[in-house]
Amino acid sequence: MNRREFIVLGGTAAMLASRGIALADSWPSKSVVVISAYPPGGTSDIIARLVADALTAKYGQQFVIENHAGAAGALAGGRLARAAADGYTIMISGSAPIAANKVVQKNLAYDPQVDFTPISIVAESPALLSASASAPAKSVQELIAYARANPGKLNIGNPGAGTKGHIAAAIIGQMAGVQINHIPYKGSPPLLADLLGGHIHFALDAPSNYLPHIRDAKIRGLAVTSAKRIPELPEVQTVAEQGLNGYEQTLWFGAVGPKGMPKEIVAKIHTAIKEWSDTPAAQKKFASLGLTPVVNSPDEMAGSIEREIRSIEPLVKAGLVEPT
Amino acid sequence: MDIFNGLLLGFSTATTLSNFAYCFAGVLLGTAVGVLPGLGPIATISMLLPFTFGLPVDTALIMLAGIFYGSQYGGSTTAILMNLPGEASSVVTTLDGHQMAKQGKAGRALAAAAIGSFFAGTVGTLFIVIAAPLLASLALTFGPAEYFSLIMLGLITSMVLTSGSLLTAFGMALFGIILGMIGTDINSGAARFTFGSPYLLDGLDFVVVATGIFGLGDVLMNLENERLRVVGVAPVSSLFPTAEDWRRMSAPILRGTGIGVLLGVLPGAGVLLASFSAYALEKKISKHPEEFGKGAIEGVAAPEAANNAAAQTCFIPMLTLGLPGTATMALMIGALVVQGVQPGPEILSQQPALFWGLVVSMWIGNLMLLFLNLPLVGMWAKLISVPYHFLFPTICVFMAIGVYSINNSVFDVYMMALFGVLGYFFKRMGAEPAPLILAMILGPMAEEYLRRTLLISHGDASVFFTSPLSLGTLVVAALLLLSIVSPRFRKVREEGLQEVD
Repeated sequence: MNRREFIVLGGTAAMLASRGIALADSWPSKSVVVISAYPPGGTSDIIARLVADALTAKYGQQFVIENHAGAAGALAGGRLARAAADGYTIMISGSAPIAANKVVQKNLAYDPQVDFTPISIVAESPALLSASASAPAKSVQELIAYARANPGKLNIGNPGAGTKGHIAAAIIGQMAGVQINHIPYKGSPPLLADLLGGHIHFALDAPSNYLPHIRDAKIRGLAVTSAKRIPELPEVQTVAEQGLNGYEQTLWFGAVGPKGMPKEIVAKIHTAIKEWSDTPAAQKKFASLGLTPVVNSPDEMAGSIEREIRSIEPLVKAGLVEPT
Repeated sequence: MDIFNGLLLGFSTATTLSNFAYCFAGVLLGTAVGVLPGLGPIATISMLLPFTFGLPVDTALIMLAGIFYGSQYGGSTTAILMNLPGEASSVVTTLDGHQMAKQGKAGRALAAAAIGSFFAGTVGTLFIVIAAPLLASLALTFGPAEYFSLIMLGLITSMVLTSGSLLTAFGMALFGIILGMIGTDINSGAARFTFGSPYLLDGLDFVVVATGIFGLGDVLMNLENERLRVVGVAPVSSLFPTAEDWRRMSAPILRGTGIGVLLGVLPGAGVLLASFSAYALEKKISKHPEEFGKGAIEGVAAPEAANNAAAQTCFIPMLTLGLPGTATMALMIGALVVQGVQPGPEILSQQPALFWGLVVSMWIGNLMLLFLNLPLVGMWAKLISVPYHFLFPTICVFMAIGVYSINNSVFDVYMMALFGVLGYFFKRMGAEPAPLILAMILGPMAEEYLRRTLLISHGDASVFFTSPLSLGTLVVAALLLLSIVSPRFRKVREEGLQEVD
């Protein structure tokens, strides 16, 4: 930062402090950009669009979705970090660009714990391990056996390096003591397409995109990463049930703004998300996607981010998740 | 959903009042854009893109598509009446179309172009109906290796089939790939070629580059010739082709349509190539090739049919594979993604109203264009007579607004200006910019698929040759490259393409 930029920034900060409340009163007085970190059709994007629609309906201003898919959400995160903290740019995404990327990506252009303002977690869900019709394993045990018999040959697709799908697969590898090659995709839709076509045999990802195809028996559900089975797939066992005792991984989706976003606007968005997620329509929508609505406070969300990062650090140190 | 039910759904979607109205608005704008030199479909669609965000997705796509194929009609009007191609794809139409106009047969040339376009548009639409579901069902057999090979084919096609030397085209494509690499690497998040500028972290928006090179570059080029340009609009006589005209243009329209339909599907080929190839073919097989360039109606009908057919069928790989064969199709993907629709094999089952509505609207739009372009041709001729010194500032302002509105970024406007100058330079040097833009779009996709293929195969590159689909595609690409080296084909290519230089 050179001197001129510093003065401009300082001035802006002072102005923001005095204008914060006035800004919040009139917010939103124009359309708001909602950055979606994954391509359309994936769970993260579906949630971003649902929240954007709910906010549009509540405030009468357009909440416009902008997709910036790539680098496991780091493109979108970088964009948010550079946006003005006036409440007119927020991001809704899975946890990778909000937390994990900090330790998984060496070249991350921002620090999610410094450059973002947590607003609220929106929903949680377990991850789902699914397999193509021609996959060489029909259960977690067979998967592990396959990896043991063919060292270095097991590929598991995930919707981006550092996503929960990636981490959850790495932990399976750690607990079972087998080597897994993680294949990153730009998001769920391209991963699902390759799984359906049999170009990759296993995928670990949020369940919603995979549910209809499992019902049509085009792909197979191998395991869910939650402690209990999920109602949408009662016949699919948990990872823990299949021998990896204590295994549990939950993925979450949340809303964040750039650092220094006025508290009043954060509170407004948080309340609006909370109100919406309590409606029966939203509850029904969440259930159909295999999601549980979880709206926590900005402070609680900061705690979730911290825990997520701490839980991944040892994996990176142990070399199970290679920083890219 | 079978074809019949699909078409029914399409008709009910495309004939709602708002979709019908936006379709009309699209083709009307498209014709205007086609008529005005320096304002192409790429610049127009990117300007109107933000406006479509508030529309339902089917309406948005119907209108944007209308602009694209509408411009193919409009481009021929100026080509015939003024010897000025409104669009690059109507360059070949000037050769015989304007000669016909000089001989007092302007009306008949316009009719040949419009009838050829309408017939080709109808066939192209039918082809989408049959081929798109087929390709969508095959799409799942396309893995990362197959996509990579297909993209390579697209890049090589665009290089081999542009005018000028192959080396120049190769250089342009390479430059395009480098431009496409600017920004954050999609796997690792590393910044590449950003020179520390935060503006470049998201990469260059290809709309900015395309508007600069094609829009501003064209304006600069036109200004250079401004003093020399004689604005003479040929008078329009009878619009009815004679019996002799009908006899001579029926077969060329059929052949042009066939070429256009096929080349439209091939990624990298696009409408430009379709019209060149159709013209070259007609000249080759004609019983009186000496008439070409002196007002042969075949030389108008065939390329016009071809470019319009290609303008319809290039939607097929975009919709079913999510693979943009041209810059305009990449814009369409952008318009869909904003609306939450990811083009790909599932689009037919998940968005049937969108797909079938678009297909039916194309046919309706072609019908509208027939009426817009024949009886109302006088109106368009007036539009062209507007002096360029009134037009170009307006065009520049619209382009600046359009580029600014993508990201609300002034940096993008400066970038557009930079690429405008570069576009002018390319044109002066005789370097065709089409491979550059396509490479900029396809390069990052090729990289993504290449890396994924090699990750899945554990670094073993032989998968590109063991998959039959991938091997077949690469063989076609290799043959295309080899054919350039063969002196015989080289001659044909040079003959076919030199007319436009």
